[in-house]
Amino acid sequence: MKLYDYILSPSCYKVRLMAALTGVKLDLQPVDFHPGLEHRGPELLALNPAGSIPILKDGDLILTESSAILVYLAAKAAAEWLAGDKPEEAARVQQWLSFSGRLTTSLGGARLHEMLLRPGDIDALQAQGISALRELEAGLVEQSLRGRRFVAADRPTVADIACFPYVALAPDGGVSLDPYPAIRLWSRALRSLDGFIEMPGIHRLHELKPEPLIETGEA
Amino acid sequence: MPSDTTGFWTPVALSADLPAGTVIPARTPAGSVALWRSEAGRLAASADRCPHRGMRLSHGFVRGEALSCIYHGWSYAQAGNCLRIPAHPGLTPPETIRVAIHEVAEADGVIWVAAGVPASKPPRLDGLTPLRSLTVLAGKDAIETAAGGKTSPDGLVETAAGAGGVWLLAADDGQTLVHVLVRDDAGTKDRIAASRAAESLRRRAENLQREGIVQ
Ligand SMILES: N[C@H](CCC(=O)N[C@@H](CS)C(=O)NCC(=O)O)C(=O)O
Ligand code: FES
Repeated sequence: MKLYDYILSPSCYKVRLMAALTGVKLDLQPVDFHPGLEHRGPELLALNPAGSIPILKDGDLILTESSAILVYLAAKAAAEWLAGDKPEEAARVQQWLSFSGRLTTSLGGARLHEMLLRPGDIDALQAQGISALRELEAGLVEQSLRGRRFVAADRPTVADIACFPYVALAPDGGVSLDPYPAIRLWSRALRSLDGFIEMPGIHRLHELKPEPLIETGEA
Repeated sequence: MPSDTTGFWTPVALSADLPAGTVIPARTPAGSVALWRSEAGRLAASADRCPHRGMRLSHGFVRGEALSCIYHGWSYAQAGNCLRIPAHPGLTPPETIRVAIHEVAEADGVIWVAAGVPASKPPRLDGLTPLRSLTVLAGKDAIETAAGGKTSPDGLVETAAGAGGVWLLAADDGQTLVHVLVRDDAGTKDRIAASRAAESLRRRAENLQREGIVQ
């Protein structure tokens, strides 16, 4: 299974994280997203005319939407990450998978604007990002009132992985995460899962790492 | 918030949002604080700025009974003194390295931070259970208008019937931290309804503020 990947892409990180959590081995094919714009070159456009990454290729199956890739990995390796057979849970998983696309355009757009100087109306992107964070916060509050720690169930599902990266990286786009206590607890719960992996800007819970005894370098 | 000449309390967070072994950012009229709970459950609040290079301590982490800075790992005790500098493992940090601390109180599921030295304890919330905290980008007047009630001396606003319980306010310049409280006997359905009502009230208060209907 080959993933066309870029280390700083939150959408690609979703796939790497899901693979790590479910024990799927990926063959990573690094894409020169910036500054090379390789994802808009002829070879990758042939795989994904939309000109975006991630792209997953498994035999003649080509997937270009991260939510579909998450579902594929889970269905192959760890079905407990998918919705169970309760209608409500199935619907909630779809609800947040679809919602995750709005995080990509709002918080992801703000991040591209701030980090790669992409054109865009930064105030509008940040305002949309804040609305999306408020929705997620309210959803998580309601879930906790129902006794559930994650967006769709009391266990993490593909929907949590779809939402997590752009939320965690919101500060890169100038959007503070300080006002969201339920999101903070949810992020901690995800970052302490066995098999959790990091990307630049998203760290495993520090207190779960071994205490550094001697550090070198400047303090 | 009850205030007197020497100090006052601000309700900064709900107990449930600060489990043992975690740190969170909070705002008080005396500035931003890193609010943390040790693994043994002891609460503390320090200025949200590491004395070393100024990193926010609320971005740090709690290990055991100490708060550590994420940047170079300097760690601090509840009393604000520096316990450890990882780059100099043999060194006992000098007494002069310390972070300013604030008095903290916790009762009825709410955490309060003192500005100055309050003469009394924070008010009790008899019969009420905290549900959630949310930030409203509006001042107290807009919130009172939206909620249809006036703030009591304890900082409580009784929202119009059925509109989402009681609100405990902590106003700050231009934004207000609202803690939504429900009656102790409210069931799950009522709690979810109160959370949704709070979202609607926030929308109304922010619209009032934006349109300049209320200052
Ligand atoms: N196809 C969507 C969107 C993924 C997406 O937005 N990817 C970004 C990288 S993080 C991208 O390739 N953007 C194209 C560009 O900005 O040139 C998904 O898989 O979720
Ligand atoms: S800034 Fe906190 S340890 Fe260096």
